[in-house]
Amino acid sequence: MKKLMNFLMLSCKKASALIDKKAETKLSVKENIQLHLHTSMCDACTAYLKQSKMISEALHKHLHDHEDEGTPLINNKDLQDKIISGL
Amino acid sequence: MEKVMDRTNSTETVKCWVELYSDHLYTWAFRKTSDKETAEDLVQETFLVAFQNFEKFEGKSHPKTWLFSILKNKIADHYRKLFKEGGVQTISFNDFFDENGDWLQEHRPIAWKQDETHLLDDPDFKKALDNCIDRLQNNYKAVVTLRFSQEKESDEVCQELGIAATNYWQLLHRAKLQLRKCLYLNWFRK
Repeated sequence: MKKLMNFLMLSCKKASALIDKKAETKLSVKENIQLHLHTSMCDACTAYLKQSKMISEALHKHLHDHEDEGTPLINNKDLQDKIISGL
Repeated sequence: MEKVMDRTNSTETVKCWVELYSDHLYTWAFRKTSDKETAEDLVQETFLVAFQNFEKFEGKSHPKTWLFSILKNKIADHYRKLFKEGGVQTISFNDFFDENGDWLQEHRPIAWKQDETHLLDDPDFKKALDNCIDRLQNNYKAVVTLRFSQEKESDEVCQELGIAATNYWQLLHRAKLQLRKCLYLNWFRK
């Protein structure tokens, strides 16, 4: 039993890596069990899981292509003149 | 004679586009790169490409849409270049974990108390997020931007950057550790 537990136990460093790996690709069965076991016992990594997800969502919404979304237009007349004279 | 006519015609049209859309394109490019000079270069290149490929633009899409699609490609190119030239700067795990792989006490994640659903409606939060992205080293900034600013599968981004899938998610992982810490210090702790 102890051997099995050692085999399945992860450090927080490894668990947090698996959390972010899972967001990008599929985990192996072993990795999934390891991660599940770890997060069921570790508050910090459970918080990390939630926050990592939230950061992904925020990045996606924030960086994703919405051309005219809310940002005030910056006027750059110099650039306009530069481009026109370069044509 | 006809050729000459075409040329004046395209010059006039593109000039008109510059007047109409360059501020929109510039605002967008600046938001994406947080750098005045880079944004200006990218917009200038965009109009140059538009001018050179004028005959390929058949008016099927709106000129603004067409210009934006050119600019978006230019921005992606910019980040690919940034990644390749970024070298081997690393965010070290030692900044977050001790030798046993436990969270360092000061970086141990604790639940954030704020309501997270409407965060992005808050311009101050957007600013904090921008600052945190901006503070990432170039290669991480490039991966994060390419990953989250476009509708692309992981393997496509890997291919674009010429890196293996393992390397890719590990870069994202380190970037996220860093972003989480930065957002905590500059936003959630307050």
